[in-house]
Amino acid sequence: MINSILRFGLILILLVLLQVLMFNNIQFSGYVNPYIYLMFIMLLPVEIPAWFLLLLSFGTGMLIDIFSGTPGMHSSATVLAGLVRPFVLRSISPHDGYEPGAHPSMLVYGFRWFLLYTIVMVFIHHTALFYIEVFRLTDFFRTLLRVLLSSLFTILFVLIIEFYRKGR
Amino acid sequence: MRSLLNFLERYHSLIIFLILEGIAFYLLSTRNYYHNTRVVNSIRWFTYGIEEKISNTRSYLSLRQINENLAAENTALRNSINRLVRNDNSLFVSVSDTIYQQLYQYTTARLTSNSVNKQKNFYTINKGTRHGLTRDMAVIADGGVAGVIVGCSENFSVAMSLLNLDFRLSSRIKSNGYFGSLSWDGRDYRKAILSDIPQHVTVNIGDTIETTGYSAIFPEGVIVGTVIDYEKPGSDFYLITVQLKTDFRKLHFVDVVANKRKNEFIDLENQIQ
Repeated sequence: MINSILRFGLILILLVLLQVLMFNNIQFSGYVNPYIYLMFIMLLPVEIPAWFLLLLSFGTGMLIDIFSGTPGMHSSATVLAGLVRPFVLRSISPHDGYEPGAHPSMLVYGFRWFLLYTIVMVFIHHTALFYIEVFRLTDFFRTLLRVLLSSLFTILFVLIIEFYRKGR
Repeated sequence: MRSLLNFLERYHSLIIFLILEGIAFYLLSTRNYYHNTRVVNSIRWFTYGIEEKISNTRSYLSLRQINENLAAENTALRNSINRLVRNDNSLFVSVSDTIYQQLYQYTTARLTSNSVNKQKNFYTINKGTRHGLTRDMAVIADGGVAGVIVGCSENFSVAMSLLNLDFRLSSRIKSNGYFGSLSWDGRDYRKAILSDIPQHVTVNIGDTIETTGYSAIFPEGVIVGTVIDYEKPGSDFYLITVQLKTDFRKLHFVDVVANKRKNEFIDLENQIQ
């Protein structure tokens, strides 16, 4: 228990630092803003209680909000991601279901499963995030393009990080 | 009672979700968050250390560029000193100078954080109320428009970048004086859109766009950029694409401009209304 708290604390700190120090500073046109901190929500244990997941999502989003000066923006999108995560996990569950105490990971459930999981989660989170950011529906398709491009890069970076985790 | 408990039991995660989203959207919708000095104060203190380090590294890496800009600005200032000195000898100009002179005061500040990749970009600068900054002061970088201060704490200020969907600037075509409203469309960090210029006016590619000074925030004649494209949509007005003078990606040092007669100006306008 303590072990896993420490472990996820470390993951959270690493991801937030990566996000704030590196990815928030990628200024590669306004279309690509990868938000890899979402990975923290994705990696939490499968059986985590829903309410706790929501609170953690809110906290994580708020942390990013504080660092990027956008109160409420990341929190609202991440809480949404926290809400849909159980449904996503259930709908893509492997044939024999999840073992007790399982973590979503590429090592256990394979590359294709993890890729699908990442795509769905990142897309939901980014769609909410970018539409909340502009807060209007004019330029709908341009925002959609930003969602798609940013999701692509986030997915790429999440997979790279997951590969690195797997290698260890 | 029992069914209520059952209901809570069943939907507790949905209820927590709604509460948390409520908090998030409340924070989001209080758009005047940046005007709230206390919040700016606490949050900026919290993140200041890290942002300061990033900004230090960044400005170190672009020292060459900054030096070039400073040298160019020095040359320009030296030229204008020479012009003014010569003008001072002429009786007429010095008279008209005292009439049209606007009392603008400049102070230099450094950026501690910046962004160009959002739709609503803000940046933080390292001067605040202690240095005499208040809301609604103009921010200028290398003689080009950069933004407006929207919130100050004791030592820091947050400025709304020109690259913000909410930013509006009254600006005009230098050659003929027709003015319109300049805003950013959220696409390219080097380009903004000037609208409300009637179609009977001649617009040329390469025309300079400058501020009008109607808002009492920006001094008159600060350069915004040059016209690189214009089109005539269905309405009576042009849609002019302006190449911005300021490169927001390389923003390190800015000048904050205080208009000393702003209160007088606004008081008068309020009296009339």
